[in-house]
Amino acid sequence: MGVGKRVRLSRILDPSDGRGLVVAADHGLMLGPIKGVIDLESTLRKVIEGGPDAILVSPGQARRLRHLFAGKGAPAMLVRVDWTNAFRDKTYTLPARGIEFCRVANVKDAVKLGASGVVTYLFVGFDGEDEHASMVEEFAEECRLWDMPLIVEPLPMGPKVTKANYVDMVKKAVRKAVELGADLLKAPYTGDPYSFSEVVKDASGVPVLVLGGYRAKSLRDSLEVISEILEAGASGIVFGRNVVQHPNPSEAVRLMRAIIHEGKTVADIVKSRLKPPLRLRVNPGSCTGCLICLSACSFAHEGVFQPAKARLRIDYDEEKHSYRPYVCTLCGSCVKACPTGALTIDPETGGLRLTAELCDGCGACVEACPVKVVKLSDGKPLICDLCGGLPECVDWCPTGAIYLEGVGQG
Amino acid sequence: MSLAGRGYVGQVAWVDLSEGSVRAEPLNPLHASMVLGGKGLGALILYNSTRPGLDPLSPENPLIISTGPLTGTLAPSSCRFTIVTKSPHTGLFLDSNCGGFFGVELKKAGFDVLVVTGRAEALSTLIVEDGKVWVEETPDLKGMTTMDAEKALKKRLGEEFRVLTIGPAGEELTPIAGVFTDQRCAGRGGAGAVMGSKNLKAIAVRGSKPISVYDPEGFKKACWRARRRIRMHEVTARSLPTYGTVNILETVNETGALPTRNFKTGVFEEAWKLSGYEWRRSEWVKDKACFGCPIACSKLAPVDGKILDGPDYETVWAFGPQCGVSDRKAILYANWLCDAYGVDTISTGVIVGYVMELYERGVLKADDLDGVEAKWGSGEALTRLVEKICKGEGVGRELRLGVRRLSVKYGLAEAALHVKGLEMPGYEPRAAKGMGLGYATSDRGACHLRAYTADKELLGYGGAVDPISTRGKARLVVDYQNEKALIDSTGICFFATFAFSFRELGDMLSRATGLPIEETEALRLIGERVYNLTRLFDVREGVTRKDDDLPGRLLNEPMPEGPAKGSKVELEEMLDEYYSIRGWSSDGVPERETIERLNLDKLVEDLPTR
Repeated sequence: MGVGKRVRLSRILDPSDGRGLVVAADHGLMLGPIKGVIDLESTLRKVIEGGPDAILVSPGQARRLRHLFAGKGAPAMLVRVDWTNAFRDKTYTLPARGIEFCRVANVKDAVKLGASGVVTYLFVGFDGEDEHASMVEEFAEECRLWDMPLIVEPLPMGPKVTKANYVDMVKKAVRKAVELGADLLKAPYTGDPYSFSEVVKDASGVPVLVLGGYRAKSLRDSLEVISEILEAGASGIVFGRNVVQHPNPSEAVRLMRAIIHEGKTVADIVKSRLKPPLRLRVNPGSCTGCLICLSACSFAHEGVFQPAKARLRIDYDEEKHSYRPYVCTLCGSCVKACPTGALTIDPETGGLRLTAELCDGCGACVEACPVKVVKLSDGKPLICDLCGGLPECVDWCPTGAIYLEGVGQG
Repeated sequence: MSLAGRGYVGQVAWVDLSEGSVRAEPLNPLHASMVLGGKGLGALILYNSTRPGLDPLSPENPLIISTGPLTGTLAPSSCRFTIVTKSPHTGLFLDSNCGGFFGVELKKAGFDVLVVTGRAEALSTLIVEDGKVWVEETPDLKGMTTMDAEKALKKRLGEEFRVLTIGPAGEELTPIAGVFTDQRCAGRGGAGAVMGSKNLKAIAVRGSKPISVYDPEGFKKACWRARRRIRMHEVTARSLPTYGTVNILETVNETGALPTRNFKTGVFEEAWKLSGYEWRRSEWVKDKACFGCPIACSKLAPVDGKILDGPDYETVWAFGPQCGVSDRKAILYANWLCDAYGVDTISTGVIVGYVMELYERGVLKADDLDGVEAKWGSGEALTRLVEKICKGEGVGRELRLGVRRLSVKYGLAEAALHVKGLEMPGYEPRAAKGMGLGYATSDRGACHLRAYTADKELLGYGGAVDPISTRGKARLVVDYQNEKALIDSTGICFFATFAFSFRELGDMLSRATGLPIEETEALRLIGERVYNLTRLFDVREGVTRKDDDLPGRLLNEPMPEGPAKGSKVELEEMLDEYYSIRGWSSDGVPERETIERLNLDKLVEDLPTR
């Protein structure tokens, strides 16, 4: 590897830990003016506040926004050098009948722009694989000439890709990119750390960054993915929409940095945002009646799926077709009603605590509960202990119908 | 080895309504490990408990309700159960997959599978409650709509009961009658008539037992990852939750694949009025989820002063473009009629479109249709004809028999849109060749959900594929059919699986069951086994290549306009390739080698001799 390539790569992957945090902002080229990139400059200013290692932009934006990449401590610039129709809004791609692609910049252009790397797709699974491979090979040749890191984005795409062969196709695509001379990869997550560690192995030493894709509902999802892929051996991320479409891009980058470069865990970050005493709240209008909360609750406490043993309930009004979750409000009625002192409030979480030896199963707590979420099972009350501080019903609720007071969504 | 407590609850209940007897048997662990549950297990039970030529409406035809190992767990959208029986509409294999809460309740009541045979003397309800199964005569439910029957039974037995019921159409043995629960429907192929033939109005279930898995911690992690994928995928995080399944309607129209006016064209000029956006803006008031589903694709809308489950994409298409109708209120009302009286909306819409074409061609006059002026696009004609079909009034008695039978009397067979007797759903095969091959080779007759190649051909997910070309389509259809057969055997919803790969599904399945099925190849093999099993059932009934056919309109009339202009389905060349990939003879019969490779010879007793 030439000196120039080595220097440029060190701006993407921090030499101190070998990891990189790249923010992708080239969406305008493939997807059009989507949310977050319309006023790209102001978004990127916020992104840069969070401290990314590099930012991926299209050649045109690289010229327009060159000032963002100048100066000490500025992020490295990566330039997208190809275009494809594969991701564009479905409505307007038609009647395009296949995957199309072409180059939109030369590596020489990228050198002149001051870029630290160029990025190109490599699709596997469609009829144009031969042409795509030769385009990537041409980029590889130019990159060798100019000492520019070649970042290849290997993706399964097209008619030959199915749910059954997806992981296998990712591996094939990654390996093909390596064989064509990629210096760094931008690969899709396969969804679980076991198969992804195989992908990393198949890259045979070429560092793997993971792409983000469609924006997750909450930042926590992105953070969890990041922590899984690092565990699986990846070297970092190239996340776009999960950053630029986040309401607070600098905060998103900062938290991603905390995990990638500072060794924080998702649990650390989540816990730092929860301030006891916790209190469950409901938003009935959002409840779709899926009952996932009941499964999650019974599984957390009993290790089985048994809604009958959940510590909350969902009421259904058939006429209005509306649902209403009832959760423990920590009103203390059961504690007051308990004649033996078996029920107390846990000072740490603020949730209920049962001292089983003191309980004689009289059921006074069940009678006292104004929202009827306490019930007896095998002579002991089932009570909400807020899962020791991270309530599972809140975690699993898909719509935010059950939430923690004072903690925002995402 | 028992699979009880490993995703399965481990019991199969056999009910004979003629004798009033109930027998509980342990779930066969070999069978479950080979075909999982749901469709696969139901198909195996059906194959081994029937003989060829059996009358679908005879007491011997079993009505099998089969859940999967993931049903009722934290796996995303784990609400599914499958009704398997021999179809009175096609005379062939039928599986009809349904969501809601019924399947979960059945499992909590202690049974993975319920097999009902025989015929009750009076109209009855089968009741299952925490391991107990009994039959009660419920003659008072006769003629009740599905909603009323469900309500009446809940009032009688308790609100916690989940009810599966047929409407009046099912009682009257209508071949397009479905089975309903929580306003969801196992609609296609006439399972409602099979239930009706047993004098069984409803099945009411309540359960409080636990469902356990093999590796709880690992399972929970796998489920959490799958949930995360759903939150990070455009279709499952945005399109389906916001607009429901109808979100695709405009895109399908723009690809020239929205069958319009009985498949005369693939472009509907008023499609925008039926877009997901318009439904959301004008009609829908609330989202509703099935058990365990983070997506909530059901959309509720007010009809007749009540808030009811609104129409899905297929229903909007069947009553909309298929009949040239863009009147949303008429579509809502027609959908309500079908749900209340208990018939399949796809078949009903296709029948109405066929009748409208006969009317426009002058074959049928208003006088033949009890005075209905069956003009293209008339919302009034639509609702009046649907009402007649639903209630079996006047000409409706004949129309409800389906387009295959109607075409025998009225002709125009090339425009009777069905395969093997089952009416065709809402994707134009001339504009999406994979869908055409999928319809032709579907085990239950024309069905879009046996090989949903539309996702690649029309919707562009996973990269655009030329929808007009036949290249690679046989392979794609085989792969998709196998994948779908696997998914329908697990207990989770197909829509949830848009977001993840088989590797992630395998992670959940293996940790739930402890079976060595985490690798994708193991899952693919199960799917292939199930699809060959259902094919063997159909072959045993006499199905060969000649039945893997499409209506003449799609084979001989070029598409008149739109992106697919000039296109016809080149079925024969795709079929040759398809059979060869499948390991079936050129006549469409699975070869001995294929059967042995899939170990089907060890699972079924009387293999077809051809």
